Amino acid sequence: MGEYLFLPSWPLQIPQLFWLGVVLLGATLLGELVDRLFRLPRILGYVIAGAVLGPEATGLLSVAEVRGLRPFFEVAMGIVLFELGSRVDPGWLRRNPWLLVTSGLESGLAFGAVFGILLVVDTPPLVAAAAGAIAMATSPAVVLTVSRELRAQGQVTSRLQLLTALNSVYSFVVFGILFAWLHLAEHGSIGLVALHPLYIVFGSALLAFISAKALLALLARLGPRGDVQTISAVGVVIVTVSVAMALNLSVVMSMLGLGILTRALDRDRRFLAVSFGYVGQLFVIALFALTGTALPLNFGATALAAGLGIAAARALGKSVAVVGLARLSGLSYRKASLLSVGLLPMSGVAVVMAHEAGAIWPQFGPQLGAVVLAAVLILELLGPLAVQFALRRAGDAADRR
Amino acid sequence: MEPLDFKQSAALSIGIELELQLVETFGCDLTHAASDLIQLAERRSHPGEIKPEITESMIEIATGIHQTHAALDAELRAIRDAVSAAAETLNVLVCGGGAHPFQNWTDRQIYDRPRFKHLSGLYGYLAKQFTVFGQHIHVGVPHGDDALFLVHAMSRYVPHFVALAASSPYFQGADTQFESSRLNAVSAFPLSGRAPLVLRWSDFIEYFAKMQGLGIVESMKDFYWDIRPKPEFGTVEIRVCDTPLTAERAAVLAAYAQTLARFLLIERPFQLSEDLHLPYGYNRFQACRFGLDGDFIDPLAQSHLPLREDIMATLEGLKPHAMELETEVPLAELEVIVRDSSTDARWMRSRYQLTGSLPDLVWQQCRKWRGDS
Repeated sequence: MGEYLFLPSWPLQIPQLFWLGVVLLGATLLGELVDRLFRLPRILGYVIAGAVLGPEATGLLSVAEVRGLRPFFEVAMGIVLFELGSRVDPGWLRRNPWLLVTSGLESGLAFGAVFGILLVVDTPPLVAAAAGAIAMATSPAVVLTVSRELRAQGQVTSRLQLLTALNSVYSFVVFGILFAWLHLAEHGSIGLVALHPLYIVFGSALLAFISAKALLALLARLGPRGDVQTISAVGVVIVTVSVAMALNLSVVMSMLGLGILTRALDRDRRFLAVSFGYVGQLFVIALFALTGTALPLNFGATALAAGLGIAAARALGKSVAVVGLARLSGLSYRKASLLSVGLLPMSGVAVVMAHEAGAIWPQFGPQLGAVVLAAVLILELLGPLAVQFALRRAGDAADRR
Repeated sequence: MEPLDFKQSAALSIGIELELQLVETFGCDLTHAASDLIQLAERRSHPGEIKPEITESMIEIATGIHQTHAALDAELRAIRDAVSAAAETLNVLVCGGGAHPFQNWTDRQIYDRPRFKHLSGLYGYLAKQFTVFGQHIHVGVPHGDDALFLVHAMSRYVPHFVALAASSPYFQGADTQFESSRLNAVSAFPLSGRAPLVLRWSDFIEYFAKMQGLGIVESMKDFYWDIRPKPEFGTVEIRVCDTPLTAERAAVLAAYAQTLARFLLIERPFQLSEDLHLPYGYNRFQACRFGLDGDFIDPLAQSHLPLREDIMATLEGLKPHAMELETEVPLAELEVIVRDSSTDARWMRSRYQLTGSLPDLVWQQCRKWRGDS
């Protein structure tokens, strides 16, 4: 026996990386299938592949294995948020202030509608408010990925990206404030209440600023070589994500901030040529497949009804604002309606938020999860379809290859 | 043949059409914005016209009819400002230049109108590759015979317009080595090139009827000639100019066309014949490729000289006519451009050399068009 030491021991020790490969392959194949057979967004295939492989369905990937892949998920999320942030032009809000009003109102109304409907069915106010905060955000990943897949360009696309980046930030800030409020209810310490959200908001912003400066300095050194610039941007993103996690800051805010600031501080327009292409694609697949593994698949009729209610209230709030301010912000009613359809996908970030809430406030997380996750599931599956529909109908999508 | 009646227009009046690029602020690539931009711009009153073109990434602006360069220049700048205001609301940038330096033609989208969809169906990839941007100068003539005379007499000067307006050195992400690469895209179309040597309007009507009878053309719009008569406007249309990087330069080129037309119509300096056109293709290529440094064959003197010298000599000869038309100032500007080689194509190459970034070049073009720098 001794002389066969070079053979692997049984049962095989399979490294974590193997599962990442399986998830990527499964997701890619199903994504292509969904695209070629049904002309549906590939994202659907990624999510479904993840869900099928995940612990809730076949259990090929155990809870521990999914957790092991978590860092990859964070990085993928970081890349997507960074890219979305870099497509946001803060100057546009100055040149067209009605967009800022639209943004504030659509988020505000979505919050109000969801908060209201949950109060009516006797949800505790804090949970209702937290659900409202989560409902403000549109999924950055879905919006970015579908618009990239369709090679979409135009007003609906760029407004959708802008509104999505902004409502993700609002959502996070409001969520942070609610945390603080919860703090007050539990401990009554005003100092803590103020400190936690302040730490997160300013800490994330400062981190984003420093990273943006560093990235731009790096790009200046490297010169106009698109590929090298892209790789170094990815490197900076990974470093920043890790630092944000280590410092207990918000990955969402730091990465969106990094994207927005890199672009805004780029006086010499060195950043114009950076495009994420295949690298971005890889992370996007991982992101959605891993989101899929975390999707709750078993819930009852009540949860489903609650989810539908939240989704409907949210959609109403958002579209009233977007369509109501269409003319003032320089958009036709038709395109504004399509824009509000595009805002439908709810954020997978919501799942993360609910998890984070659960981690910090164990008694709060499950309650919130029950209310929100059904809505997330519905909109995770319908969201990509909504964005695809909106961008195709608006004429923003490129011709089919 | 009623539609081909030559409409009488004020002699030597001028008007311009300019095709403009619509660019996004993220990476300065062409973007789809024409229909939204036009819809928005039409909500406010503005001079001139803002019209769709074949793809969603371009618009055309057109001035009214003017007698003087000063009035044309003022109107053109007012239209530019109206477009800029609408573009700001939509976060779209607008710029001149004969071609987008790095757009990928497969990304273009055909504007939703029956004529454009028809052209796209007919010409296939040529229609999308035709995402190039030109300036069309109209000069009014009172009679169809004058128009045909001008079409052919003016063709000796086509290289002048090509070189002075050249602003498409970069195409599909590469330096083409041409000063104007745009005209190469035009040459692919079957009805491009120059008009047949027909000198009487009645004969032209006959020619057109034959072409129509053969099913080759439906309307005058199907001829993509470098210079063509435009009977419904009563003008001669010069179509070889790239869209310049500024509205001001577009107006200067129109002033040159106007003064040249006066000179040709009044002095009738040469007889029209096929011999006059022998070096046409050669001269045109030299101007596209080398700009002001190109070689020029004078068909009458049968001699070679640098194109810039021929332009300088022409400008000298135009002086009395410039006085009559009040175009001395724009023509003096042209002299400076020729002397300093300060063409738009030159400017673009020097900008690119500075930064090595084509997106940055487009960004600078947009600033230049807006009149910021």
